[in-house]
Amino acid sequence: MSRHRVVSHERIEGVFWVTQPDGTKKLATINLALGRSVYGEKILQFKGREYRLWDPYRSKLAAAIHRGLDSVPLWRGEKVLYLGAASGTTASHISDIIGLEGRIYCVEFSQRVMRELMGHVAAYRPNIIPILADARKPEDYRMTVERVDLIYCDIAQPEQAKILADNSDIFLKDGGWIMLAIKASSIDATKAPSEIFRREIATLENRGFLGLRQISLEPYDKAHLMVVAQYRRRSREE
Amino acid sequence: MEELSIVDSIAGILAVDKGNRVIDKAVFPKDPVKIAEKIARIEAGSLVEEAEQLIQRLRKHCKRFIFESEAVAANARKTLKVKVKVSKPSEAGEYVRSNLGDIAAAIGFVEKPGDVFSVMREVSTILTKLRVKAAASKRDQIVIQMINSIDELDKIMNLLAGRMREWYGLHFPEMSRLIDSHDTYAKLVTELGLRENFNLEALERLGIAGEKARRLVEVAGSSLGGMLNEGDMAALQSLSHLYMEASRLRCHFVDRMETLMEEVSPNLKAVTGATLGARLIALAGGLERLSRFPASTVQVLGAEKALFRSLKTGTRPPKHGIIFQHHLIHKAPRWQRGKISRVLAAKAAIAARIDAFTGSYIGEKLKADLEKRISEIGEKYKTPPKRPQRFKGSGRGKGGKS
Repeated sequence: MSRHRVVSHERIEGVFWVTQPDGTKKLATINLALGRSVYGEKILQFKGREYRLWDPYRSKLAAAIHRGLDSVPLWRGEKVLYLGAASGTTASHISDIIGLEGRIYCVEFSQRVMRELMGHVAAYRPNIIPILADARKPEDYRMTVERVDLIYCDIAQPEQAKILADNSDIFLKDGGWIMLAIKASSIDATKAPSEIFRREIATLENRGFLGLRQISLEPYDKAHLMVVAQYRRRSREE
Repeated sequence: MEELSIVDSIAGILAVDKGNRVIDKAVFPKDPVKIAEKIARIEAGSLVEEAEQLIQRLRKHCKRFIFESEAVAANARKTLKVKVKVSKPSEAGEYVRSNLGDIAAAIGFVEKPGDVFSVMREVSTILTKLRVKAAASKRDQIVIQMINSIDELDKIMNLLAGRMREWYGLHFPEMSRLIDSHDTYAKLVTELGLRENFNLEALERLGIAGEKARRLVEVAGSSLGGMLNEGDMAALQSLSHLYMEASRLRCHFVDRMETLMEEVSPNLKAVTGATLGARLIALAGGLERLSRFPASTVQVLGAEKALFRSLKTGTRPPKHGIIFQHHLIHKAPRWQRGKISRVLAAKAAIAARIDAFTGSYIGEKLKADLEKRISEIGEKYKTPPKRPQRFKGSGRGKGGKS
């Protein structure tokens, strides 16, 4: 007897709303690695399926969905390039959503957190491909990444929009999507967040991204913005 | 043919023409360990045998080769004397990445298109494991762990010493005033225990003689403290023993740090001393990262709170971070410290760069330069500057030299 109720998310395939006994609603995904919790999140059973709760305070993607992002470019079988995967909190939920037919290439620069990503996450999820590399040099991993449908970028670097665009030119298909989490304080602590957001977004617009959608991640993360956009590949002649 | 693209992929090296047809190929052996090794070499910019053979075969028919990596292109031009061009990304590269499964099957690398991705995952995992291992075996990471251990031991020792003095104070409260050093205090408690055991002979054996010993014995005889029974005393003595052990461990680590820094970063050690150098490496997160910081960053490492407060609200910026611990700075007169910090940080930054990249030793010269410049500062700014006139309401950006 489960005390939870689980219903599909209105718009996003593979994402679920869990109503807890106390009436609060939380996000969840179907666990691809049965019985394994990645970052201490709760696992629950409902009608023969195993779900993992998705904490919006730990994952900016979950925060964005809580804040009303409903047209998330995520689907079963999708190929994803994830820049700044860290220890794999968000990556593990994307791995749940895209399923075994999908693939997620996780680029992370720090060997310390890569160790955790490999040991706790990638080892149990055959759709995760770990890559220890610098996202600023996409040509370094051109041989171990294919053409992808989505690039998710959470790298807390100055110039993150430029880094994302450079990666898109090499790996993102025409009409593919990007999601960029901008953390104002790690770009420039002295400037107003709104100014930094404007600058990063201008970079994206110059580099061929259309249909920009912006979602503030307050109150889950302070001075953070999630940007979703579609990529139009510029022809070579330009 | 005018031009051919040389595309490196997980399945091998491909030569692709303008119409996105694979003209020729050199397939990798289907062993993930070998592929990982080849890919690591391509990433490092070298021309692997497969690429070399492929270009040799095709050079008669082709004027120019297009590469996706500058370093590989430069190597091809140098060793094979062919014309090259770099395009990041090349159209052929895009084509290959978009159709990797089908191409890998067509050239006979795998049976089914989908199989290439399990090979890819295996190769990536091997590569990543190798890199994590290589990074973990760098000696500067050991420096970081060791300096952090020293700092944590300090905290532990302070706690233990406080407790030990408080506890023993029930029995012999007057001793705390007389013995300042925690080490000596712990030794007395551990070796002698109850205050009735304090006599000149025993104290001399423990290295305390003269006036101090006489005074100690005298106070021990007339102490206002209560009695401790044997069991309570033994418990307290295991605590003081633990303090002594921690203290010994700390000494050992500090010694070890000298030799370790001599290996890892001899120039930085010469300029800043072993422990301060180690702290700089720890704050930066590694020797190479430290070497990439400008001297102005090195100067305020460890004072991030003050620095960001200054950037945000316009208060005066910090003059020094952790480098304040250097005796040349904290012993200097207040108004010279900012200038000295600047010089010290500049020399430390140079030293770290040499240690990270070339490895020659010019520590003594750096140190001599540093001392010379500091004595110049001492000469030039002998007296404190006059306080600038302060006006009402000038809260922001007081400026002034510091």
